Amino acid sequence: MKRPWLLIVVIANLAAVLALVFIYPDLMVGPGPLSKGHAELATDCFACHAPLRGASSQRCASCHAVADIGLRTTRGVAIVATPAKVAFHQQLIETDCVACHSDHQAPQLTRHSRKPFSHELLQAATRERCEGCHQKPTNSLHQQIKGNCAQCHSAKGWKPATFDHNRMFALDGDHNTRCETCHVNSDYSRYTCYGCHEHTLANVRAKHEDEGIRNLDNCVRCHRNATDEPGEGGGEGGGRDGSSEGSGHSGRDRRERD
Amino acid sequence: MNRMQARLFTREVLPFALSLLALAAAALLIDGVLHGFDAVWVGRHLGIPGVVMIVVSLVYSLRKRGVISVGRPATLLRLHEAMAWAGSLLVLVHAGIHFNAILAWLAVWAMLINIASGLTGKYLLKRSRKRMDEARTRLQSQGLTPEQLAELGYWDSLTFDAVKQWRVVHVPISLAFGVLALAHIVSVFIFWGWN
Repeated sequence: MKRPWLLIVVIANLAAVLALVFIYPDLMVGPGPLSKGHAELATDCFACHAPLRGASSQRCASCHAVADIGLRTTRGVAIVATPAKVAFHQQLIETDCVACHSDHQAPQLTRHSRKPFSHELLQAATRERCEGCHQKPTNSLHQQIKGNCAQCHSAKGWKPATFDHNRMFALDGDHNTRCETCHVNSDYSRYTCYGCHEHTLANVRAKHEDEGIRNLDNCVRCHRNATDEPGEGGGEGGGRDGSSEGSGHSGRDRRERD
Repeated sequence: MNRMQARLFTREVLPFALSLLALAAAALLIDGVLHGFDAVWVGRHLGIPGVVMIVVSLVYSLRKRGVISVGRPATLLRLHEAMAWAGSLLVLVHAGIHFNAILAWLAVWAMLINIASGLTGKYLLKRSRKRMDEARTRLQSQGLTPEQLAELGYWDSLTFDAVKQWRVVHVPISLAFGVLALAHIVSVFIFWGWN
């Protein structure tokens, strides 16, 4: 080559760049700055990365003992947070730190490919015990409810709640009362209308006997609120307890009687 | 003179610029589509076929230097141009995933300079070939005289020198791109978790 100086300049520059990779790996190779707590590891890539295998959960756990996460710092100091944070890392189905955590500050790529926290990562027993991590809302409705959150809410989000009581029965007038009045022991799969003084089995039977109505347990099959005339409701839940099929006081019953 | 300048612009500068613009537009289009379908992560993997295409395009360089003897150089040159352009497109989309590492960006810039250099070479070759063809046609129609032969030799030597001078620049640029890209790929293999 007639002008090897150009090649020499290029090779010299490449050598300088490659040297910089080893001197400043955090800038040259790292996809972004580390989190504040790990700033001192910025140039020690192999503190977290295993060669050819990426960031290793085992290396995370060498400093962050799973049993201590959320409870004590890596130096053994108890964590006191207000409001108190719930330690749940001990309840995960597997130790896969990078499934949720990227210590390099969120380049777009890893933000998209990384899974956010998912309740599916929790052990089954922990997953069903919502109150272990979540505080109950302070409003009067939720204060009455004991557990069974999944009947109205999904693990994907608090809202939208999947339950609309008006689709079953409108809580109007005197029916705007304590949940326990109708749902004994916070069992929302069942209800009773005999939990208040107004409705007793005796007076309900007296009202319905003349009409030949025999099923006196599945009231919402005909009554969807306190004021409307009874009828076959378009809403849901009429046959919920399984006792109404074929035996309720439906319109058909009345037609046969007439 | 103005007419000549206009011809130079429309026949040589414009196609050159359009090739670069088409590359940028295609990269932006693919990146936009990936964003639209919330599939930006796909770009991470496009780096692999992109590099493979660029490496395959180097078959022409091997053929030209006599390392291999299979294939027609003219066909392989077209393959080199097409594969390098398409491979660069995929690598550009791959670069659109907003990585922050300086080494990766240096590799991308070296690739872009390499593309510009490659397109320059392409049009240098095209222009030289065209001038030679014109000279030959003219000389053949007039009959070859010693002076005309000297003119033909002049165009031949000019073509040879122009391309040779361009190659002096293109080879180190390609080398820089190759080394930076290789360093980036090695670093990814070392630090990335593939599972």
